[in-house]
Amino acid sequence: MITFERVTKQYEGGSTALRDVSFHLDSGEMVFLTGHSGAGKSTLLRLVLMLEQATRGQVLVDGHNLSRMPMRQAPRIRRNVGMIFQDHKLLKDKTVFDNVSLPLMIAGLRYQDIRKRVRAALDKVGLLSKEKSWPLTLSGGEQQRVGIARAIVGMPPVLLADEPTGNLDPELSRELFGLFRQLNEQGVTVLIASHDLALIRSMGQRVLVLSQGMLVDDIPGADIAGARA
Amino acid sequence: MSLSGVRRRSRSWGRRQLFSLFSSLGTLLSHRVGTLMTVMVLGIAMALPIGLYITVKNLHALDLQQEQWGNLTVFLKTNVGEQQARALQRTIDQEPGARAEAISPEAGMEQFRQASGFGQALDMFEENPLPWVIVVTPEPAEGEELQTVVLRLEAWLQQREETDLVQVDFKWLQRLAGLLELGDALVSVLTVLFSLAAVVVISNTIRMDVANRSEEIQVLSLVGAGNGFIRQPFLYSGFWYGLLGALLALLLFNLCLYFISQPLERLLDAYGNSFTVVNLGVGGFLFVLLCGGLLGFIGAWISVQRYLNQINSSGSLARF
Repeated sequence: MITFERVTKQYEGGSTALRDVSFHLDSGEMVFLTGHSGAGKSTLLRLVLMLEQATRGQVLVDGHNLSRMPMRQAPRIRRNVGMIFQDHKLLKDKTVFDNVSLPLMIAGLRYQDIRKRVRAALDKVGLLSKEKSWPLTLSGGEQQRVGIARAIVGMPPVLLADEPTGNLDPELSRELFGLFRQLNEQGVTVLIASHDLALIRSMGQRVLVLSQGMLVDDIPGADIAGARA
Repeated sequence: MSLSGVRRRSRSWGRRQLFSLFSSLGTLLSHRVGTLMTVMVLGIAMALPIGLYITVKNLHALDLQQEQWGNLTVFLKTNVGEQQARALQRTIDQEPGARAEAISPEAGMEQFRQASGFGQALDMFEENPLPWVIVVTPEPAEGEELQTVVLRLEAWLQQREETDLVQVDFKWLQRLAGLLELGDALVSVLTVLFSLAAVVVISNTIRMDVANRSEEIQVLSLVGAGNGFIRQPFLYSGFWYGLLGALLALLLFNLCLYFISQPLERLLDAYGNSFTVVNLGVGGFLFVLLCGGLLGFIGAWISVQRYLNQINSSGSLARF
């Protein structure tokens, strides 16, 4: 589903965010991406979302070679990738319902269908009762779940999350990861960038480790502590 | 692509348009004061060329009453008496393409007294200083130019020994035509200038709108909105601004017309013209509205496209 082949990303000014990174994610896999801040986790996710393009090497998502695509095709790719942001990226002047419905509005669905699917997505994250609320009246954990509902409402085959538990307490974080696992069990490929090692260990899934832009470890799920627990 | 595919795509396109249409209206209504000020600037700016256009159009309508403007006024010498004057009038009447009317000094004085309001001053004359006057109305035959007839009559009348002076309103007519031409050119220039001003005003308003909503634009981009989807609500906003501006312009213009049309008609009636002020008409109204909307659309397009080029090229979108 996601393949990186010797990917290097250099920024103007010479700083190198990713060096010669190669890995492959099968469809339906759930993988954690970890490393210190500045290790290149966000850059890697940005490349998958086609917010920028690799300097060298190939990035393949769902059969599309993003390195060979013109940037104007990026919206088409982004519609197939659900992204969850650390700071939620919700629109404050729109209700929860309207925020979650954005990807479907963009796709031009019928209002009846939008309603049905938004409510299903909100139900899945346990926020159906909050559909008419404004984002700022919700707690951090609830806002994050609205962000997740927006990411999954279009039923994308790939889900990315950038430090989704960054501002949450341990219990909420565990709940959130449980939600990701549920989505993964329904066949969605999930890639989560996080530096919460204890939590990652408890999940027992494959882990990619980045350090200074290089992929220094690729640990199979079976070797993670949580798998034996 | 299959037919049903095309149908599905066009339907979702239509839904996106509707979404943009309403979301743009919502934005405009949520900033009532700002919207009102922009619309007022646009309205006043657009009212000016419309006003001038209608003024010139009305002058053109005057122009149509050429018969009156082509009259020749023949002032006879003061020693020419009634008999001679009447004889000359009959001679002219027999001439092809002309109709003559003799005005006695007394009748002339009476007309002057009524028209000028110098009644008391005129009483100071011991005797009537006015000569006999013959007013000649040219009547060109089918296919004949008014100007040729007038020039022929003028030359012939000037040779007569009874004639002191022949005055032709034709010069006036030529000057009026020249003025109208100038007016037409002025309308064109003003229309271009004020259209440009409208585009700039709307473009600037939308630019601020875009800046205020840059966060929303970025989020939309992140969840997969293409340039078209992001552009649409702003284009519709521009369209609404232009349309409302044009509507206000028409309103302002008609209000002005309402106040000046009656005195104007009275004034022109005093010149012997039965005159009704010509307005734009339904077609003209719709045309102005359409042009306003179109100008708004163009102005909005310029601003949004500039912003989209900026965020796409600078990669600022990537700094989430």
